[in-house]
Amino acid sequence: MAERPEDGPQVDELVEHLFRHSAGQMVSRLARWLGSARLDLAEEAVQDALVRALSTWPFTGVPAEPRGWLFQVARNRAVDLLRRDAFLRSKLDGVRAESESPPLSEPPGALGDDELAMMFMCCHPALPATARVALTLKTVGGFSVKEIAAAFLAEPEAIAQRLVRAKRQIREQAISIEIPSESEIGARLDSVLDVLYLLFNEGYSAHGGPNLTRAELCGEAIRLGEILGGNPATDLPAVHALLALMLLQASRLPARVDETGDLLLLAEQDRHAWDRALIGRGLSHLERAASGDRITAYHVEAAIGATHAVADDEASTDWAAIVRHYDDLLELKPSPVVELNRAIALAKAEGPAAGIEALERIEADPALARYYLLPAALGRLWLEVGDPERAARYYEEALARPTSAPERRFLERQLARCRRPATA
Amino acid sequence: MAKYLVIARSSGMPSTLSPQEVQKVIQKYMSWNANLRKDGRMLHSEKLRAGEGRVLRGQAGKMVVTDGPYVESKEVVGGFWLVEAKSYDEVLGMLSNHPHLDGPGILEVREIEDLSHLG
Repeated sequence: MAERPEDGPQVDELVEHLFRHSAGQMVSRLARWLGSARLDLAEEAVQDALVRALSTWPFTGVPAEPRGWLFQVARNRAVDLLRRDAFLRSKLDGVRAESESPPLSEPPGALGDDELAMMFMCCHPALPATARVALTLKTVGGFSVKEIAAAFLAEPEAIAQRLVRAKRQIREQAISIEIPSESEIGARLDSVLDVLYLLFNEGYSAHGGPNLTRAELCGEAIRLGEILGGNPATDLPAVHALLALMLLQASRLPARVDETGDLLLLAEQDRHAWDRALIGRGLSHLERAASGDRITAYHVEAAIGATHAVADDEASTDWAAIVRHYDDLLELKPSPVVELNRAIALAKAEGPAAGIEALERIEADPALARYYLLPAALGRLWLEVGDPERAARYYEEALARPTSAPERRFLERQLARCRRPATA
Repeated sequence: MAKYLVIARSSGMPSTLSPQEVQKVIQKYMSWNANLRKDGRMLHSEKLRAGEGRVLRGQAGKMVVTDGPYVESKEVVGGFWLVEAKSYDEVLGMLSNHPHLDGPGILEVREIEDLSHLG
């Protein structure tokens, strides 16, 4: 019996991203039941359910339980597709179709077991790293190929190809959709956390830009992280450390660009615009992260984020503590980019001369050759010590390296300051 | 006030939309519906089952039944809304921002003839 439009939840009661998140839950649930070899079938059933909602709800209104409705339709469709599939195969092979276990009729639960199991499949170490990200967004995230391509500035055909190859590999290697046992969960979890961290960073660097899908990756990484943190199997310190790191960084997003979309330096940001609720959640995850005996890079990066979050302004920030955190990070994850960040913190803690000295040591590192932040940091420090000409040369160098439009505008503004130092 | 039947033919959207896009399109239909309901102009609506119509004809005094609708897919009726308006012009105004017209969908409007004055 169809419900009249006036009966169901109204427009604004459709939770934001309800379809995207439900799609992820439904694909995970159905694929876990059908087996990873039939991932395509699960995806087809879910897509059909969404199209059915589109051709029904405009006339009947939104059902009282939209998620339950979608899941029921997707499940029924999966059963139909499975019968067709089994029939075709029995004809081809001349064998009787195997009897299938009865389908699950309840909508996915709050613990997110299905999504968790699916994340472990998508991030399986046997799959190429680039495929892990695309698969996670497609199956657990409910993103379309087009949206994934937009988020990663790639061609949709390339993403589609990557997914096809990954699914073939999943079938051939019989990678199952399950939560790993306690003995192997540690190593498998690292690979999942890597993917979430990558998603978050992609979104963070694009936030405030014109590419909305890209910026949405931050929220998606946090959402998936919360599924991990909320499930007893993965309620582990490293998970909470990554969540703390993402939430603390995300708290600064509203202040990170000005009203025209231009990037603002930490010192220029209005700290009142930092999201206090996210900082609170971040700090509480950081506390839960402290329970283990293993310190991960996420712990250290979250500690850096927390040091910024609890400071009233840039001047009263405990920069010496931040330098020590970067020293820890260099031991866990040595990289020229971490060296660069440490040098910038060192300049704040001990003055621009110390920063310049540290930056000059890594200036010739080929890994940073295309990285605009290195000459930009040197430009800033030379400006601080009162050498605007030298600073200008570095900003010009920074502008010659690959940058986004807001980053470019930021560098051009800085360059203009070098040329009229009185207003600096 | 007169009553108008608004018939939606063919689907409004391709089936390759992402979950997020499907939700956005549904929300557009919902807010169109909500606007009309708010003004008390939406009287009724129904979705019709796809591909299960029957077409009846008399042939030499006998009823002949064929499956229908059997013409092009753009003829398939997805559902209808019964709305109230002062004139065709007003109905057309109400439909000018209708989400069904964002895609390949077609809307047909028919006024229900009011014969009450004939007693």
